[in-house]
Amino acid sequence: MTEEIRALVGREVSYTAPEELGRAAIRYFARAVGDDNPLYTDDAYAREHGYDGVIAPPTLICETNQYADLRPDADGYAGHDWHIDIPGSRKVRGGNTYTFHEPVRPDDVITATWRLDGVTERRNSAGQEMLVVSSVATYTNQHGRLLVTNEETIIFVALKEER
Amino acid sequence: MTGPEVTVGSEVAPLERTIELRDMVAYAGATWDWHRMHYDFEYLQKRGLPAPVVDGQVFGALLAEQLQDWLGPRAVVRRLHFRFKNLVFAGETVRCTGRVIAVEGDTLRVEQRIVIIDGDEPERVAVEPAGAEIVLRAEEAP
Repeated sequence: MTEEIRALVGREVSYTAPEELGRAAIRYFARAVGDDNPLYTDDAYAREHGYDGVIAPPTLICETNQYADLRPDADGYAGHDWHIDIPGSRKVRGGNTYTFHEPVRPDDVITATWRLDGVTERRNSAGQEMLVVSSVATYTNQHGRLLVTNEETIIFVALKEER
Repeated sequence: MTGPEVTVGSEVAPLERTIELRDMVAYAGATWDWHRMHYDFEYLQKRGLPAPVVDGQVFGALLAEQLQDWLGPRAVVRRLHFRFKNLVFAGETVRCTGRVIAVEGDTLRVEQRIVIIDGDEPERVAVEPAGAEIVLRAEEAP
């Protein structure tokens, strides 16, 4: 099982959004999060602070599935996924590290490229076996500018065996 | 305009937020993520989960917001990292806290964490460790 998954290391998949990110998407995200920072909605304010107009909240493109344009799966999920299925395990999020290279603007057309970076076996403090899958996503715009890098870990925790 | 005091040990102004199911539905829409974990009670019941699960990625947004709210528009978050410790459920209140651990020129590093606060119940950790690297730009320069 693990060998099959290990064989996926190095795999890369790329998605380009069918449209610009858009001002409405930025305002909607800020509203949904509860962030009222005018950098995200007020062009004049954003210009006063050195931007070319409103910018997206920094984490938006790491969180949205807008660019993927996928049909939802059985769980309703419509974002990038490696479709790794490990029977007898529970899939949980490990964590993320975001590096923000340039602000994201409403007229950016995002391309996200996901690479499966590594698979490691570990044991957690409770002694359960875990498989840690690390991926890196890079987000660029239509001008080839690197906007954000997102390192993500997903963990498959072995469910306790019944005796 | 003067910003907050930023030296090693300075406390990052905390950010507290109650995340209701309504907010989660808005977030699911805003991020194109319609995973049933976040709203479908029948789906949750089958998996032994007591309530809709808050999308972990919203905590990245809150950690960034906490820093921007504290430092103002001249702050640019360059790096942000976070690890998940416990699930957060609909209706729970989270508190983001943090402190400055390094200042080098115009760059500062902070460590942050997020706990779930629920009245008299003991705090549960939602996110830890977490932290960021922030650049403070000169006020007038782009």
